[in-house]
Amino acid sequence: MNECDILVVGGGPAGISAIRSAKLGADVVLIDDGLKLGGQLIKQTHKFFGSAEQFAGMRGVDIANKLVSELYESGTKVLPGATVLGIYEDGVVNYSKDNVVREIKPKRTIVATGAKEKNLLFENNDLPGVYGAGAVQTLVNVYGIKVGNEVLMIGAGNIGLIVTYQLMQAGIHVQAIIEATDHVGGYDVHARKVKRLGIPIIFKHSIKRVDGYNSVEEAIVVKLDDRFNPIPGTEKKFRVDTVCIAVGLSPLAELLWQAGCEMKYIPELGGYVPVRDEDMRTSREDIFVAGDVAGIEEATSAMLEGTIAGTEAARSLGYPVEDDELEKAKSYLNQLRAGPTGKKIRIGLEKLLGKRHSFETNATIHKPSKSTMPKNKRVPVVECFQEIPCNPCEASCPFDAITIGKDINARPSVDYSKCTGCGICALKCPGLAIFMITEDYSDSESLLEIPYEMLPIPRPGDIADGIDRDGNFVCEVKVLGVIKGKDKTNLVRIIIPKEYADRVRSVRVKEYKNDKIVCRCEDVTEKEIVEAIRRGYTSFDELKRLLRVGMGPCGGKNCREEVLKIIARETGKSVEELEVGTYRPPTKPTPFSAFKNE
Amino acid sequence: MKADVVVIGGGIIGTSIAYHLSKFGVDVALFERSYISSGSTGRCAGGIRQQWSSPMNVRLAMESVRMFEKFKEEVGYDIEYYSGGYLLLAYTDEEVDRFKKQVKMQREQGLDVYLLSPSEVKKQFSSLNIDRLKLSAYCPTDGHANPHLANFAYVEAAKKEGARIYDHTEVTGIVMNGDRITGVITDKMGKVETKIVVNAAGAKSRDIAKMVGKDLPVEPYRHQILVTEWLPHVLDPLIVDFYHNIYFRQTMHGSFIMGQSDPDEKPGVNLNARWQFLHEISHKITFLMPMMENVSVVRQWAGIYVMSPDAQPIIDELEGVSRMICATGYSGHGFMLAPITGKLVAEWVIYGNPRSMDISNLSLKRFEGGKRIEMERNVV
Repeated sequence: MNECDILVVGGGPAGISAIRSAKLGADVVLIDDGLKLGGQLIKQTHKFFGSAEQFAGMRGVDIANKLVSELYESGTKVLPGATVLGIYEDGVVNYSKDNVVREIKPKRTIVATGAKEKNLLFENNDLPGVYGAGAVQTLVNVYGIKVGNEVLMIGAGNIGLIVTYQLMQAGIHVQAIIEATDHVGGYDVHARKVKRLGIPIIFKHSIKRVDGYNSVEEAIVVKLDDRFNPIPGTEKKFRVDTVCIAVGLSPLAELLWQAGCEMKYIPELGGYVPVRDEDMRTSREDIFVAGDVAGIEEATSAMLEGTIAGTEAARSLGYPVEDDELEKAKSYLNQLRAGPTGKKIRIGLEKLLGKRHSFETNATIHKPSKSTMPKNKRVPVVECFQEIPCNPCEASCPFDAITIGKDINARPSVDYSKCTGCGICALKCPGLAIFMITEDYSDSESLLEIPYEMLPIPRPGDIADGIDRDGNFVCEVKVLGVIKGKDKTNLVRIIIPKEYADRVRSVRVKEYKNDKIVCRCEDVTEKEIVEAIRRGYTSFDELKRLLRVGMGPCGGKNCREEVLKIIARETGKSVEELEVGTYRPPTKPTPFSAFKNE
Repeated sequence: MKADVVVIGGGIIGTSIAYHLSKFGVDVALFERSYISSGSTGRCAGGIRQQWSSPMNVRLAMESVRMFEKFKEEVGYDIEYYSGGYLLLAYTDEEVDRFKKQVKMQREQGLDVYLLSPSEVKKQFSSLNIDRLKLSAYCPTDGHANPHLANFAYVEAAKKEGARIYDHTEVTGIVMNGDRITGVITDKMGKVETKIVVNAAGAKSRDIAKMVGKDLPVEPYRHQILVTEWLPHVLDPLIVDFYHNIYFRQTMHGSFIMGQSDPDEKPGVNLNARWQFLHEISHKITFLMPMMENVSVVRQWAGIYVMSPDAQPIIDELEGVSRMICATGYSGHGFMLAPITGKLVAEWVIYGNPRSMDISNLSLKRFEGGKRIEMERNVV
């Protein structure tokens, strides 16, 4: 039987971070049952909050790529596409891969299996068209599949808000967000992003029923009283084809139950969670936990818990820990949980760890003072009104003009005397809450620059609709230009009558010309090809070398003919007269392992 | 039609020469019988290395690296240049000895290169398997770039300087008056008057020399190469392993490019890919980098090394002909030497000798009269 020092179950942010144990010298195996390593991060197209020293300001999918390359660099043996079936009394773990079940005996196991989505009971909830938010993200963000045309989102927590925004980015219309409580559960900046898109959040309502012949055609929503009971006669009908459920997560802890770890029911942490100490060790001394399985939180804290669990698991096997990574992780974790938005977690941890946690916030509230804001130069307006653990604006400012301070939950304040108006903060802010304004652009107009992540991207000269914070039309605006951010957050620069400068916070483009993709593997557009042909590159092989067209995994199956047609059209020749270019083996991407099996 | 200088060959060597000549204000016309980068450049792995066994090659490569570092600002195009280093692996005692001597010599030439023990290799490049590894040599200023983009960059930049670049136009003959060149004959544009021809025709350079009745001691040999699917960035240096006969690198795009030599290959222009290569290299790459096991091969092809007798380039003006300057025989490392070649040949044309460096030992004379030649050993 195979043996190893440490087995990590789960290749999400917590599991991959636990491979720090491998960096300390331990012999580590990581098993993941996803289609791709990276856990839920692979479907997160939004930028993360938290400390810029961690991954704040990066998109989840980019964090996943970074973590996965670190995983491979670490020397960890990775078993992707494998499922752990059980943890046994003798510490043996069995898993299935490629339809073969094998056993492995680790000295320590770190369970980082994440979470599952909570269910919601309503009539006909098995009708096709009812999805969990995670499934919707997988289909839309990982596979680019349009789940429907008209969506009703249930739940105004961070997931409901984020997925709503992502659906709108994907061109799928969300009619409304239904929330049972009287407030937004997620971050205020996320709520503001969807409100600007004109999507109402309907509080104190829940879904009662969906109807349809083969799949969802309509959803019935009902008002709730103060005890969350439906009030008869308040039903509202939505004509939608998709209902997306985002009512929270609970730990995916079957393995821990099987292994006999002590479990405790703590609603603030999402349900049953393993009893564990501050080193992330469960009641079984050979089993550690990290991430959502240890209590529902978010990806940054999962990574930090993974680092802690990995370090402690390695230490418990005698591997020396000499650096200060562990202390750093613990300190970041405390910071993340210290603010008002971490209150629920703090209560949950207090119940779990049986003692008061010293997570008192020291946040000084900096109020951006409008009076000091200069009118004749380009400056940021920071619309960040909630204390959340986040500091990329401060970290990104090259001139130290933005201050958050030691407690990353504090709100930013801007020192306009230091600010040069560079706009980097507006491109960086994960909440899209920073707008650049030049109030006195002319006698009667202001220049407003809006962070924008939707398609189509406005073009210079466009006349677009100026939209207010709640998604309502204010006035027509003129698009001066677009600053394209490296990570797909753009700044749309609009000219606007002065009196509306404080009201307009978004734009809506009226018409748009789409890019035509010729080479789908390498994302080469018709426009790029035409431009190259006009510069004199008139054969397929030349365009291939210049633009990578046809160099991707399909080997040009999908684009070669299209490219030849474009060359023919541009050069006035017939396709038969052209050089078709070389065809090279293999016809299909084939792994090295297959060539070894002679 | 007329041109002060005619360059034959639209690969990286020819276009670098055309670019440098045009920058000096010389009226230059370049003829490429197919399309730009259709020959060895368009098939090359893009490595840029200074770790050679011959001091001349080290010096040439060091000058070239300096030019690659400034390529973007000077030539004006991003060619995905990446200074990720070259790591040479030694598996035998003979190699260990050789690496030690070479590193000493290379350091004497001023190159920042040093030896790494297997554990240091593991620490710095953890995705590599160090089983049976005895020693390695590492030069951090080695690197790689995208040969196609570099080739096109020289074309575009040369055009901006006024050079005329004609692709799909073959030089079929050279017109002589006695021992003086008076022009070249092309298939599409007839005679082009010129007094100076630069022969940068790579695998065809021997045929071009024959047009003026001279022979060049170069032979083309086929080499196999492949590229994989895209991966996240996991490998900085280009790896050369002479013992297992493989080199590989990760491109800025994310794909891995790798190749090997075939000791049984006969000379000749053959561009067919071999199926055996896929099996052979799969064993090697998965041994050296176990994470490659499930990475897919997307494309394989073959290219040409134009070998000279000592595996070092030939940069020389033919004797008894006025005037043909040849830049050929790069033996698989023409891409990396192209910038310095362009500069030296341009100087040669203008001043009658290369001013920046002494390259007298790259002359054809070195092969005359049974002289002992110093073989470049670090070719893979």
